[in-house]
Amino acid sequence: MLSVTWLAIAAPLGSAAVLLLGGRRLDRWGHWLAVAASTTSAVVGVGVMADLLSRSDRAVQQHLFDWIPGGELEVSAGLLVDPLSVSFLLLVGVVGTLIHVYSVAYMEGDPRRRTFFAYLNLFVAAMLLLVLADSYLLLFVGWEGVGLASYLLIGFWNQNPPFASAANKAFVVNRIGDVGLVLALGLMFAHLGSVDFAGVFASAPTASEGVLTAIGLMLLLAACGKSAQFPLQSWLGDAMAGPTPVSALIHAATMVTAGVYLIVRSGPVYAGAPTALLLVAIVGAITLLFGAVVGMAKDDIKRVLAASTISQIGYMMLAAGLGPVGFAFAIFHLITHGFFKAGLFLGAGSVMHGMGDQVDMRRFGGLATLMKVTWVTMGLGWLAILGVPPFSGFWSKDRIIEVAFIGEGMKPWLLGGAALLGAGLTAYYMSRLFFMTFHGKGRWTEGQHPHEASALMTVPMIILAVGSAALGLIFAIGDSFVTWLEPVTGHVTHEDPVLAVPVIMTLTLVLVALGIGLAYRQYALLPVPETAPVASLAVQAARKDLYQDSVNSVLLEYPGQTLTRTLVFADAKVVDGAVNAVAAGTVGLGGLVRRLQAGRVRSYAAMMLVGVVVVLGIVILAINGKGWF
Amino acid sequence: MGEQELFWVMSPVIVLASLTLLFARKAVYVLAGMIVVMIGLAVFYVTLEAPFLGMIQVIVYTGAIMMLILFVLMLVGVDQKESLRETIRGQRWIALAAATGLVVLIVTTVYRIELPIRDIGGMNDGGNPQVIANALFGEWVLVMEILGLVLISAAVSAIVLTHLPRSGDRRSQAERAEERVRARLNPVNKPMPGVYARRNALDVPAIDPEGKPVPASISRVLKARKQDKDGSEWRAIGKDEAAE
Amino acid sequence: MTFESPIIEWAPLAPVLIVFAAAVLGIVIETADPKVWIRRRLQVALALVATLAAAATAALQWSVLDGDGTRVVVDRIICDRHSLIWMVMIAVFAALAILLFSSRVGGDDAFAPLAAAAPGSEEEREASEKGLAQTEVFPLALFSVGGMMLFTMVSDTLILFIVLELISLPLYVLVALSRRRRLLSQEAALKYFLMGAFASAVYLFGAALIYGGAFSTSFTIIDTAIVQYHGREALVLVGTVLALVGLLFKLGAVPFHAWTPDAYQGAPTPVTAFMAAATKAAAVAALIRFLYLAVHRFEWEIAPVLWTIAIATMLVGTVAAIVQTDIKRMLAYSSIAHGGFVLVAVTSFEREALSAAVFYMLAYGLATLGAFAVVGQVREVTKDGSLGAEATRLGQWAGLGRRSPWMATAMAVFLLSFAGIPLTAGFIGKYVAFKAAFDSGGWPLVVVAVLAAVVAVFFYVRVIVLMFLTPVPEDLKDAVEVTESTGPSLVVGITALATVLLGVVPSVVLDLASNAAILVP
Repeated sequence: MLSVTWLAIAAPLGSAAVLLLGGRRLDRWGHWLAVAASTTSAVVGVGVMADLLSRSDRAVQQHLFDWIPGGELEVSAGLLVDPLSVSFLLLVGVVGTLIHVYSVAYMEGDPRRRTFFAYLNLFVAAMLLLVLADSYLLLFVGWEGVGLASYLLIGFWNQNPPFASAANKAFVVNRIGDVGLVLALGLMFAHLGSVDFAGVFASAPTASEGVLTAIGLMLLLAACGKSAQFPLQSWLGDAMAGPTPVSALIHAATMVTAGVYLIVRSGPVYAGAPTALLLVAIVGAITLLFGAVVGMAKDDIKRVLAASTISQIGYMMLAAGLGPVGFAFAIFHLITHGFFKAGLFLGAGSVMHGMGDQVDMRRFGGLATLMKVTWVTMGLGWLAILGVPPFSGFWSKDRIIEVAFIGEGMKPWLLGGAALLGAGLTAYYMSRLFFMTFHGKGRWTEGQHPHEASALMTVPMIILAVGSAALGLIFAIGDSFVTWLEPVTGHVTHEDPVLAVPVIMTLTLVLVALGIGLAYRQYALLPVPETAPVASLAVQAARKDLYQDSVNSVLLEYPGQTLTRTLVFADAKVVDGAVNAVAAGTVGLGGLVRRLQAGRVRSYAAMMLVGVVVVLGIVILAINGKGWF
Repeated sequence: MGEQELFWVMSPVIVLASLTLLFARKAVYVLAGMIVVMIGLAVFYVTLEAPFLGMIQVIVYTGAIMMLILFVLMLVGVDQKESLRETIRGQRWIALAAATGLVVLIVTTVYRIELPIRDIGGMNDGGNPQVIANALFGEWVLVMEILGLVLISAAVSAIVLTHLPRSGDRRSQAERAEERVRARLNPVNKPMPGVYARRNALDVPAIDPEGKPVPASISRVLKARKQDKDGSEWRAIGKDEAAE
Repeated sequence: MTFESPIIEWAPLAPVLIVFAAAVLGIVIETADPKVWIRRRLQVALALVATLAAAATAALQWSVLDGDGTRVVVDRIICDRHSLIWMVMIAVFAALAILLFSSRVGGDDAFAPLAAAAPGSEEEREASEKGLAQTEVFPLALFSVGGMMLFTMVSDTLILFIVLELISLPLYVLVALSRRRRLLSQEAALKYFLMGAFASAVYLFGAALIYGGAFSTSFTIIDTAIVQYHGREALVLVGTVLALVGLLFKLGAVPFHAWTPDAYQGAPTPVTAFMAAATKAAAVAALIRFLYLAVHRFEWEIAPVLWTIAIATMLVGTVAAIVQTDIKRMLAYSSIAHGGFVLVAVTSFEREALSAAVFYMLAYGLATLGAFAVVGQVREVTKDGSLGAEATRLGQWAGLGRRSPWMATAMAVFLLSFAGIPLTAGFIGKYVAFKAAFDSGGWPLVVVAVLAAVVAVFFYVRVIVLMFLTPVPEDLKDAVEVTESTGPSLVVGITALATVLLGVVPSVVLDLASNAAILVP
């Protein structure tokens, strides 16, 4: 099966091409082609894993073709099949296929369902290319590909202007991250002489710490952009504008975890850059608290899940930032999270489906009896994310909390404390979501008839729920998953945390129980107001995503947002067909350019003359005092 | 010697003359200014021991090209004036500042450089035209050919932009006269101006058989310059009668 | 006084001579004044054969080249591998452009039927009805092409000026010949002409100062003079800066770019494509020769200037492109930005930059030709149902993917290549260009370039989104039509395929380009 690994990428890519170019005649059965393509990837994944398990060397590099040959820089396109990439291959393949099946029903009746599936397939292909690439350059191709697919899918319902602007926001923030990756590529080539994994990792130990730190920081920037980590987290909440299966697949299970993959994959680089690694952990810790706090205040079910995703990826980053000891747990949590978060999102989609696209949790309530399957599957996901034994989260997240407590000085106390606190907060907001949706009194709007979705939607949910429940336990038996990843992460002897393991575990469980209890009292026993009550400043801040947008607009996005607004404005004008876009041009920077470009040839000549004087002035100033005269 | 003195005399003349390009309102003055510049350049060439170039400068630029431009101006109308009003805000100041800046930068640089005096004695051995001919048809012959191509493309470009092929057939004089009659226009030629005993200049109009002046007989150009007369003071009949 | 006949190596000139011969022959055909349809066929065939033959001959020269290069005219015109690869590129661009020149939509080509007739006049209408055609455009374009090819070999400031004029003159006129929106076209041509004359004057002034300092117009001698004649190098330096202005003008670098959007928008679209692709390539080739052969010893003195210009060019091009609502103008600004990107490579003064610039301009030129070919195919439908002018308002491009999936897909490929998305030629181009700058310590420049490239992705993707994700507005349903005439479709196909191929397997061309990274002084 190893020899056909490429098929895992080629099948969805080909299917996407066929669907995009095929035209209307594919409308009737095109989505099944997409499902088949995704299934192919999953099957290839299973086969490859079986092959890999039967081999002694667990890393196989496959050469595809020479991409940029000759000279100082040689890049060949090839695939790297090792436990890490195969884990992702399986995650993307299996979860992807389930979500494809779910979407068949979810997107039923949408006139552009075929296009939707084409993008979905495109995403699968790009994501698999990202994880299977054997060089940073090829990874970058996939990286851009998933970005494109994500952009297209967030804006899929772009007849709604806020959705289009959400897509644009995601695009801008992601580009900031991409700059990091591009610069990292440049640094690698300049200082390590190579951009493929093998070459970089081989020469990393010989490079200076400064260089490795710079590369590490740039990679972190890239990871922050893609994985919605602090301070680039703002786009993920808005990205929920896309169809729910998209949120489940791209913005919960797979794409947003690419940043974690990047960090773990670059382990050898971070090995020589402890500062960068520490920063990864700090970013993770901040983000996990940030996401949790925001999650506690939101009423939009998808936005709560988005905040939770940000928070959970924060856990993974925290683990990755702990170095080789945490790498395996980061990926472990990534896989289990992929299952339970996808399940939760599909559950949310099912609720929305049954409630006529309502997303406000204050208008849910009492759905447990009416939507039994959804209730049970989301319940399993809920238990899993809470880390209640023996569900998946317990095995993956609690291990992260545990390793966060390893180390010397203040570091373990701060990081471990954050992780511990995060667990409690997670328990609170996830329980809040669960109880507000399924328990208490029904607070539905007029004329709503909640109902369970069709089998096409429930079956994937059931499978994912089973995965959420059992996967952690299976992987944890005999540390099988950690052992499996060892060829990539390296074998690490386990140090003891600063607190005894049973103490940490007990503390975690107590906090979780506390979180559940509080949420139960407030949202299941007491009545829930249908509109959000006036709240304290802190809650207001959390509802506004802790003012992330304001902060971003001042610090980060001021130029970006001006551009975005100009664009959105121009776009709206253009799309409306009512164009007097000259007005659009006067906005922001464009106005200045237009003033310079007023069409008068004498102004042009003046501009040129001034240019001549300026360049001449620069040169003459530069040579003054050089003794040339 | 003498060369330097000539330079310092001629260069202010040339610079002043070239300023007409910027400040003269009438195209003819601009042209005259340019002719002065061209001749001044020719003087420089001759003093720099390039007599052939100096002659060519006079013959080609002053003699041919400037005259050609003058003809064009006459066709277009010498009485046209150009507005020098500036319509773009700040344009004059920007232009002035930038131009001053450029001059200052270049002059200060060039001024500080000591250029060696090159010995060009013997350069004209065998005759100045011959030396130039040898260069043009020797080392630079390919460039001459390229210049030929530039000229072809310039000529073709000019024709493309201006040449209107005659549409329809050419009409004969008889046909045109007939048309005029049909249209009840004056069927005969306009009379010549200036048919008085005391004055036969072009600025007085002809008189028709009834003794009245024919304004159409005076050239448009004279009218535009307001140099035309109504001819009353030279008429045989008294002024008062003519006024009736 | 005896005449010494000059030593001229004619063989390396063959590609250029073929083009010039065809141009002159074209003029002769015009003078014979045959019927329009004969004339047009003859001219198209002649121009196509000439450009393709020139490309083939130049490629042949490559294989038989003696050593690194041949001195055609002592040290004034030099043919080496670097100039040959540019020549092939320009000839191929020209052949593709000729295909666009020759295309007709609804019986009308892109040019005015009778350029001398006043816009909107009776004569114009008559000429249009009679089906007249200004077939002089083909020989005129050939003159320009020949000049561009020669441009890549010139190593002499004076010849450079003359060839610059040979390139420019026909272009000024071609810009004025648009069939539709003629006043805009004529205004554009006048602006281009005035600014071009200004730039030429500045260049000439610079060349004169260089001569004053170095006593020569030959690049080789200027190079040695800079070190030999101590005390006069400042004169050469000032001259260099002024001469650079003239060359950067042709490249459309800020602040000498102002003509570009107007000229690109007003010109007939095939001419825009030709100018954007071929002229820019020729300008880069000449710029490289001048910088690397004549004045590379001034690297430290002129680097700040080049850096400033490169940064300004990238930023202005990118920012201005964002607010454009006319596709031709947007592409014009994008071409300005691309000029900045290629400058990033050129300013490195590294051997690597030679091959990077070649690859970059090839990638950019192909995508540009293709993109403008598509622009020429999207037409407005007039009230009486006939095809009108090009629909260049961005709003009119909404839902293009539904009107013509193939054209829209190809356009998307070109835009992605402009944006530098991996698996397109543009990505490799940007990669090699930035790498060349990075290696020589130009990392601040690269940072700005990457930022500009990232922002640029915005407006390219916006067009793609508009084409594929936005439905056709109701009121525009019948007001816009995509014609798919043979010539442009062929160009679109070829360039799209090449853009993808160069992105996926750039090795062949990269190898050639690095083989050609040698300049013979």
